[in-house]
Amino acid sequence: MPIVLTVDPRSGVPIYLQVIEQVKRSVALGVLAAGEQLPTVKQLALDLTINPNTVAKAYRELERDGVIETSPGRGSFVRSNGSIESTKTAATDVARDAIEAAVREAKSIGLLADDIRSLASAAIDRWFREDA
Amino acid sequence: MSTISIKNLRKNYGPYVAVDDLSFEIPKACVFGLLGPNGAGKTTTFRCMLGLVRATSGTISYDGAPLVPQTFERIACVPERSVLYEWMTVADHVEMTRRAYKKFNVARTRELLAQFGIDPRKKARALSKGMRTATMVALAIGREADILILDEPTSGLDPVNQRHVLNLIIDESTRGATVIFSSHQIGQVERAAERIAVIDRGKLALEGSVDDLKADRKIVEAILPSETFALNGLAGDPRISRIDRNGRIVRALTSRDAQDVLARFEALGASGLRIVDLNLEDIFLYAVSPADTTADVVEER
Repeated sequence: MPIVLTVDPRSGVPIYLQVIEQVKRSVALGVLAAGEQLPTVKQLALDLTINPNTVAKAYRELERDGVIETSPGRGSFVRSNGSIESTKTAATDVARDAIEAAVREAKSIGLLADDIRSLASAAIDRWFREDA
Repeated sequence: MSTISIKNLRKNYGPYVAVDDLSFEIPKACVFGLLGPNGAGKTTTFRCMLGLVRATSGTISYDGAPLVPQTFERIACVPERSVLYEWMTVADHVEMTRRAYKKFNVARTRELLAQFGIDPRKKARALSKGMRTATMVALAIGREADILILDEPTSGLDPVNQRHVLNLIIDESTRGATVIFSSHQIGQVERAAERIAVIDRGKLALEGSVDDLKADRKIVEAILPSETFALNGLAGDPRISRIDRNGRIVRALTSRDAQDVLARFEALGASGLRIVDLNLEDIFLYAVSPADTTADVVEER
């Protein structure tokens, strides 16, 4: 099963968090479909040349977050039960991180809550114009 | 139980202290990276672990037991300098290793030598530095040992073969082997190692899981209201291991809870707050940076 994850080990973001973020993003985008099998821990570790315990840790957290499920002896799969749910969970997690970072930045350069709110709602209006 | 335990290790060479009260543990099946500047004591530590030099004091135990001759059946190593016999061929070394140990996978070693592009008929003296390293790596991996002690196992190799050695290390650990290795290329340690220790002038400067260190060690940057603004007790915060001030800009190195530290700066009225991620090289350099280059550290009393 082809899975294209790219991690940057030289980044200051822990590698297991990068793996989690990318799997969630792939699930949210449907690149990884419900029920699809993920590479084994060993395979992903060798493909990316990263530590296998780091991969195992990422898989454990993805399982805890309800994005994947692991059955002993068979491997790890994107959750198929309530897959719409898990896709949405994954998408929400990815989006929350991005919004958190943007709000933190806006606040730190001196914007007030109302300023940020109006910026956010202007951005939402712009991006969702055709849906209105 | 941890496979390898180093406790209060000390090694003096006359008046020179090469290793100074070093303690750390390497859990089973862990890939452990040993980092340090030149002369920090990495090779001496490895030599003590292999029983090649006698420690001045302290203990090294394998599964709770001291190193005994039988332990060598369980340990494979790549020493820092070539230990190949110049007049012998690579194939002779394979044969010699086969005779020396009860367990040695000749076929696997030959396969690895082929992958590295090494002609086994070549005499060791005809090998480049990188190919000597690769030969020793192939001999060590062929041992199928419980413990691998690898001192600079990628030294002299081209990037393709360096990557190959890292994947061999990863492969060995998934088999259950415990691997300790050193490298000056921090990026390699960052990839392959789960845990690291940084030693500096013989002492342990830092130890922990690579992911945890990256999650905990951040720079919190803030702009203070004025150049003379007092940092009310922030310098004594146990979560901050260092503060650098340059005019109104202040940078705090955190050892954990960067978000909380950021909130403290915010409460003081600082602006432009941000958290900067540190990679392993940054973390390493902070851990070993000599005290005299931190002259602009503000020490509050």
